[in-house]
Amino acid sequence: MSLLEVENARVAFPTARGLLTAVDGVSLSVDEGRVLGIVGESGSGKSVLSRAIMGLLPRSARTGEAMRIRLGGRELGALPERELRRLRGREMAMIFQDPMTALNPVMTLGDQIGESLRLHLGMGRRQARDRSVELLAAVGLPQPATRVDQHPHQLSGGMRQRVAIAIALACDPRLLIADEPTTALDVTVQHGILDLLQAQSRERGMAMILITHDLGVVAGRADEVAVMYAGRVVEQAPTRALFAAASMPYTRGLLASIPRIEDAPGRRLEAIGGRPPDLVSPPAGCAFSPRCAHASDLCRRQAPGLEDGGATRFACWHPALEAAE
Amino acid sequence: MNALLRRAGRLAVVLAVVTLITFLLVAALPGDVALDIAGADATEQEVAEIRAEIGLDRSLAVRYLDWVSGIVTGDWGQSWRTGERVWDAIAQRVPASLELMVLAQIIAVSLAIPAALLCARAPDGRVDRAIGFLAFGSVSMPSFMTAVLLILLFSLTLGWLPATGYEPLSAGLWENLRPMILPALSLALVEWTALMRTLRAEMIGVLQENYIALARAKGMSDRRILVVHALRPSSFSMITLLGLQVGRLMGGSIIIEQIFGIPGVGRLLVTSVFSRDFMMIQGCVTFFALAYVLANFCTDLAYARLDPRVRGLGGKAGAHG
Amino acid sequence: MADVAAPMPAAVEDRHAEAIAAHRRRRRLGPMFWIPAAWLVVLILAAAAAPWLGLAPPDEIDWMAIQAPPGVENHILGTDVLGRDILSRVLHGARVSLTVGFAAPAIGVGIGLALGLAAGYFRGWVDEVVGILIDAWLAIPGLAVLLLFSAVFGGSLSMVCLSLGLLFIPAAARITRAQTLSYANREFVLAARAMGASDARILLREVLPNIVWPLMAFVMIDIPIAIVVEGALSFLGLSVKAPTPSWGGMIAEGREHIEDSSWISLIPTAVMFVTVLSFNLAGDVIRRRFADTREAAL
Repeated sequence: MSLLEVENARVAFPTARGLLTAVDGVSLSVDEGRVLGIVGESGSGKSVLSRAIMGLLPRSARTGEAMRIRLGGRELGALPERELRRLRGREMAMIFQDPMTALNPVMTLGDQIGESLRLHLGMGRRQARDRSVELLAAVGLPQPATRVDQHPHQLSGGMRQRVAIAIALACDPRLLIADEPTTALDVTVQHGILDLLQAQSRERGMAMILITHDLGVVAGRADEVAVMYAGRVVEQAPTRALFAAASMPYTRGLLASIPRIEDAPGRRLEAIGGRPPDLVSPPAGCAFSPRCAHASDLCRRQAPGLEDGGATRFACWHPALEAAE
Repeated sequence: MNALLRRAGRLAVVLAVVTLITFLLVAALPGDVALDIAGADATEQEVAEIRAEIGLDRSLAVRYLDWVSGIVTGDWGQSWRTGERVWDAIAQRVPASLELMVLAQIIAVSLAIPAALLCARAPDGRVDRAIGFLAFGSVSMPSFMTAVLLILLFSLTLGWLPATGYEPLSAGLWENLRPMILPALSLALVEWTALMRTLRAEMIGVLQENYIALARAKGMSDRRILVVHALRPSSFSMITLLGLQVGRLMGGSIIIEQIFGIPGVGRLLVTSVFSRDFMMIQGCVTFFALAYVLANFCTDLAYARLDPRVRGLGGKAGAHG
Repeated sequence: MADVAAPMPAAVEDRHAEAIAAHRRRRRLGPMFWIPAAWLVVLILAAAAAPWLGLAPPDEIDWMAIQAPPGVENHILGTDVLGRDILSRVLHGARVSLTVGFAAPAIGVGIGLALGLAAGYFRGWVDEVVGILIDAWLAIPGLAVLLLFSAVFGGSLSMVCLSLGLLFIPAAARITRAQTLSYANREFVLAARAMGASDARILLREVLPNIVWPLMAFVMIDIPIAIVVEGALSFLGLSVKAPTPSWGGMIAEGREHIEDSSWISLIPTAVMFVTVLSFNLAGDVIRRRFADTREAAL
C-alpha cells in the first residue's frame, strides 16, 4: 500500500463565466520515502491538486464525489475537520512558492516553528524553543540561536524559504508537499534549497511531492515524474525513463525547453507555441490538440485516456515511441 | 530624524492656526464682557476701567499674542466670570473626560474585534450580513439618542445603574465605574461600527495571505488562525482609526457629559459657551486640539510597536540577511 | 474535506444558468434599497406638504390634551408637555432636519471641492496651506466648532446649515485633492495644457467631470451624518430657535418626562433613527452598485 493514494481527484471553481475545472480526474500515488515530481505550466492544476491533498481548498471549491484521497490508508474526505487538522503539519506538511509572503510578518521565527511543536507534539514553551533552534540549524540558517527571535523581514528570501522548510519539518511529517519551492528565489540560491529538501527527505525517510513548472528541477531529484496539462495527468514515468524517452508531445515540448549546459551560448530554447486552454470551456478531444503538431481529427474529437502500461503511463493517440523522430 | 522635525514643525503651525481660529471666533462672540462684569447700572467710566483691567482695550493682535505666549509658558489665563485659573479648571476636569473616553474606546474595541472576526470568517455569509445590518442600525443611532434609551431602560425601568452623577476614583473602583457605564456605552455603541468595518475589511485581505495558508497547512484551528495569526497584522488600520476617532469621541463626550452630568472638559466648554466665559472657551478648545494631536502621535507609537517592520526603522535592528 | 467543499453539479448547463442568475442578483437593487427609499420619499413629501395636511400648527397648544398619549382623537401620535401635536411637530421638524441634511453636505463639499482642486492642481505652497488649514480644522472637535458658531452667529436655519457644512470640508477636500493629483498628469490633461488651455478651463472641463462621481458617493454618506449632528445640536438647544420644532429639541424636551410620558421622546427618536438608517442603507446599496459598474467598466 502506498503512503498517499489519490483517486479520481476532481476540483472545480464557480466563476462569473461558468465552472472552471482546475483538476479533472487525477489519480496518482506516492510510496513511503519516495519523491514524486509534478510538472506543468501555471494553470495546469498542480497547485490546486496539492491543496486538495492537504484539504486546504477554498470554500468556493467544488470537489467530485468520486474523489478519494488516502494517507496511510485513512480516507481524508471522511475525516472530520478536527482529525484532519491533526494530520496537517504532523503527518503531511507543505511549503509554498513565495517565501516573502509565506511567513507571518508579526511573529518571530521561533513562534512560527514552535507553534506546530506545541500543538502537535505537546511540547512546552522552553522545549519548543530549543527544538526550533535545532531545526533552524538543520536547515542551514546561520546563528540559529539569535535568528530564532527575529522576524521574517530581517531575512533574505532564500533564508526565509529555509525557515519555511524548518516549519514544515518540525513534526517529522511522512509526506512533504513542496509547491514551486524555488520559483520565487534567486537562481543562485535555488540549488541550495532543492539540495536541502532532497537531503532532508532522504535523512528522514520522508516522502515528497515536488511541484514545479521546470522539468530541470525534478531531474535527478524525483524518483518519478507526473506531467500535468489542463487539470489532467498526461504522462507519468520513472524520471530516468521520462528523460530518456517521453511519449507525449507536450512532455517532449517541456524537455526541449530545458536549457542544457552543453548548449552553445545563444541557442534559442524551443518554447511550446500557443497558450494553455480555457478551463471554463476546454476544447473537445485532447486538451493539448490545439497546440500539438501531431494532432489528428481523432485528437480533436476524443480525449485519450491515460493508458496503464506498467511503470510508464501516458495519454496520447500518437505517442512518439522510442524517440522515433 | 529630519522627517520627525518636519512633522513637529507642521504640528506647531497647525496648533497656531487652531488657536487663531478659536481666538477669532471667541472675539466675534456678541455681547460686551466688561459690561457684563460691571453690571447693568455701572457708569461708563466704571465699564471702561474694567475693560482696561482685563485688557480688552488693546488691539486684537496684541490680545492674541498675549494669550498664545501665555499658553506656551503655561499660563492659560483666568476666567472673567468665576475667577478660576483656566488651566486649573481644565486639569481638574480632565480625569472624568479621560475616563469616559478610555472606557468608551475599550468597550468599542471589545465589541469590534469579536464582531470583525465573526464577519471575516465567512464574508457575505449569514453572520456577516447580520452583523453588518446591526452595525448600520448602531451607527444610525446617535449617542444622545442611545443615552436617552439606555437611561430609560437601565436606570428608570430596571433601576440597575444611575442616570447621572460622577464619583471620583477615591470613592472606590466600583463606585467610580458604576455611573460611567451608561455614558461610555452610549459613545461606544456608535464608535464600534467603524472600527469593526475597518478591521473586517483588512482581515479579509490578510486571510488571503500565504502565511495564513501556511498556518492552515500547519494544522492550526480556525480560531487560532483568526486570533493569533490574522488579528495583529490586520489591526493596523484600526489602530490608526482609533487615533483619528479621538476627535469624534471628544465631540461626542461634550454632549454625553452634558446628559449624564459628568464634570468633564466637554461640560465645562458647554457651560462656558452658555455663560460666554471667553477665556475658558478658548482654553477648552485649545486643550481639545492639543489632546487630539497628542492622541494621534501616540497612535503612531503604538503602530510602531505592533509592526516589527516599522519598529526596525531607526532602531539598531535593520533589514539584513 | 466534505465540510469545506460542496459536491460538483453534474449538468454542464448549470454553469451558464448559475452565471446568469448571479448577474441578475447583482443588477436588482432589492428590498434593502426600496424599503428605505420608500420611507424617505414618504417623509420628504409629508415634510414638504406639512402645512397643508390639515394638522394642528406645530406650536398650537391644545389645552384639552396635555401630554396626551398616541391614539387620542385629533392627535394620532399624542401631544407633548405643552399639548402640542407631536405628528405635526415631527413633520415640521423633518423640514429642518432634511434641509440641513441636504444643504450642509452640499456647502461643505462645494468648499472642499474648490480647496482640493486648488491643492491638487497647483501643488506647492497652495497645497501646503490647504493641508495646514485642514489639519487644524480636524484638530478641533466638530461639536466645539458648532457650539462656538451657534453662540457667535445665533440659531437661524441658514447659519446652522453653513456652520454644519464647514465640518464636511476636510474630508471632501482630501478626496478631491487625491483624485485631482491622479488626473492632473493624465494624457488628456497634458494634451489640453499643450494646446494652451487655461488652468481654469482645464480644471472645469478636464478634471472636474472625472472627480464629481466619487464625491457624490461621499455626499450620500454625509447626509445622515448632517442629520445626526443637527440633532445633537438641537438636543443641546443650539440649533434653530424655539418655537421652531426640531427632532433633537423634541427628544430633549421629552427627556424630563420620559418615565411617565415616554412617547414624547421616543416618537422623534424612532423617526430620526428610521430616517438616518434609511439614508445609510439606501446609500450603501447605491455605493456598492456604483463600485460594481465601475469595476465592470474597467
